[in-house]
Amino acid sequence: MNSFVRQVGVVARRDFTAVVATPTFLLFLLAPLFMILMSLLGVTGAAHLADASQDKRRIGVIASPADSPYVTAADTRLRALLPGELMPPQLVVIPPHGGDDATVARALLAAPDPDYVAILYGPLDRPMILKEDGRRSAYLATLAEQVLRDRKAGIAPDARLSMAATAETRHTGPSTSNQHVTGYAAVFGIFFLTLLLAGQSVGMLAEEKSNKVIEILAAAAPLEAVFLGKLVGMFGVALLFVSFWAGLAGVALSLVAGAIPLPALTAAVGMPAFAGLCVLYFTMSFMLLGAIFLGVGAQASTMREIQMMSLPITIFQVAMFGLASSAASAPDSPVARFAEVFPFSSPFAMAARAANAPELWPHVLALGWQALWVGLTIWLSAGLFRRGVLKSGPGLMTLLRRRR
Amino acid sequence: MNEDMPVWAEGLVKTFGGTEAVKGVSLSVPRGMIYGVLGPNGAGKTTTLRMILGIIDPDRGQRTLLGHASPREVSHRVGYLPEERGLYPAMKAREAIAFMGALRGLDWNEGRRRAGDMMEAAGLGHAVDRKIRQMSKGMAQLVQLLGSIVHRPELIVLDEPFSGLDPVNQEHLEALVRSERDRGATILFSTHVMSHAERLCERLAVIAGGRRRFEGTVDEARGLLPMQAAYVPCDRAEEAGRLLPPDAVHDGNAWRFTVPDGGAEALLMALISAGHGVAGLTMQRPGLHDAFVRIVSDAKRADAEAAA
Repeated sequence: MNSFVRQVGVVARRDFTAVVATPTFLLFLLAPLFMILMSLLGVTGAAHLADASQDKRRIGVIASPADSPYVTAADTRLRALLPGELMPPQLVVIPPHGGDDATVARALLAAPDPDYVAILYGPLDRPMILKEDGRRSAYLATLAEQVLRDRKAGIAPDARLSMAATAETRHTGPSTSNQHVTGYAAVFGIFFLTLLLAGQSVGMLAEEKSNKVIEILAAAAPLEAVFLGKLVGMFGVALLFVSFWAGLAGVALSLVAGAIPLPALTAAVGMPAFAGLCVLYFTMSFMLLGAIFLGVGAQASTMREIQMMSLPITIFQVAMFGLASSAASAPDSPVARFAEVFPFSSPFAMAARAANAPELWPHVLALGWQALWVGLTIWLSAGLFRRGVLKSGPGLMTLLRRRR
Repeated sequence: MNEDMPVWAEGLVKTFGGTEAVKGVSLSVPRGMIYGVLGPNGAGKTTTLRMILGIIDPDRGQRTLLGHASPREVSHRVGYLPEERGLYPAMKAREAIAFMGALRGLDWNEGRRRAGDMMEAAGLGHAVDRKIRQMSKGMAQLVQLLGSIVHRPELIVLDEPFSGLDPVNQEHLEALVRSERDRGATILFSTHVMSHAERLCERLAVIAGGRRRFEGTVDEARGLLPMQAAYVPCDRAEEAGRLLPPDAVHDGNAWRFTVPDGGAEALLMALISAGHGVAGLTMQRPGLHDAFVRIVSDAKRADAEAAA
């Protein structure tokens, strides 16, 4: 056993050093930075375009001079209720031109500048709303209703009947919705990191196969030790990557804390235990999916084959994410139970469970169960490799029969 | 347990895709000996060595390595140079040697220290920190060989160690093999180049067509063929040929023929009595090369007859 562990360590150390001590690793480490920069550029560009088109759009109300201040006041009050994404275009109160309001409204809507998207005209108790296809008319209808109510109530447009004071407080205790959010965040975080990092293991044996080092490794150590060593080495790289970005994220959050509202994350097991469990489940998820990637990739002879094999595994991984996400949103459902027990979705689903349920003993069981499957996956992968590449040993069915 | 036989194998059989590559090979390699496994290309030498080392499992048969039925248990006491050379190209030579030692249980730092010393002794001191990809094929091969013995194994298995080396490096390698034997290690190596086997091996086995066809010393192998004689008569050389065995051939200077089973004395007496005299006579055993060709040819013939 000591020899096995030592050999795992030797292979892991070699692989870790081979990956980290290269200029390419810096590129790998900073890859998310490029992704973030590109996303920011994309989002900024899209927002700029959206703002530019939004700025030019208008909605209009053809209203008499007597109604005009009421319309403006009601518009101000209604806008205060709406979040940014539901905010209608800027309102223009259009004085009547003395002619047919319908003709005027049609002409304004057809004119290029200002870019009217909807115009309300006619008496406020039976207004007519002329709008572009696909536009909603609810805001203008509500505006008319509000103006009419104010006028009937005899409330002056600039009157303030209630002066509300606001005080802010934070919900400190656990809440179900916060726990669900925390659970989903954990599922997504572990999935994203696993997808990003465990996928790297698919081509890890390609080097050994191409430069014949596999013969030396296979002669000196059990293939299981070689496979596990490679996974541990890659996990070391992943931990370095995660630590680097977690550190940066921590600094960034401490800088913006207070300036932007951050979601309150709460977990039923308590945040320190939750964080620890997330690290453990990320480890298991990495090992499980990494072992599959490694085992399948080891069967491939060319990069093309490796790429072909990666796709079904990625789809499988996304399916596991879907399963675990369902578990996070419905913690006590049969789907959640299944996701917690099924070994390849278990790390994600159990991380969600840690957010939603306070018991710790299921996590001990789950971690043991997942570790068992890590061992089984590596054992099967090594067996398939021995059979497929070294042309030795029993077939899969024989292996399974022996196991029984 | 066969502790006195670092390598012991009995009836090893291995089939790849319906083709029997090794058909019941048995080997016993005594401790402290340089032992050669000879055979033509595709004879099953590499497969036999891989089964002995536990890289692949035999379909049938038994083997022990340093007395253990499971070769893995003693991998730290074994050094192995595979036929297909393999090193990580981005690794420095010293690290590559230390890595191979570490795989076999040697402390990494001690491996680095030994690697430096060994490379210095092998004339590669200038290249200890050179990356493998920057080395010539011969240099990389020597580095790999040093990596396979850095942990001072009891048994060293070398698969075609001389292929790809220039004559100077072949000499270095032969010297290295002898020094390892002098250290007390047992060396098992495969080759199809007879000159190395003839110079190095204390015992050898010839494998052909997946079966062991011979086992013994070099002299015993050479003894499979009769002595060859070169005879120069004093007078009437053409007529002397009539008294010689039917396979006698005159090469312009001497008659060359196979010495009869009973020896050459009766023949010489007849030649002298007929007045041809003896101006020169040499008798020698054929080399290992001839013995090898004969063993392999006989094996092919026997296999063909068996198949018919």
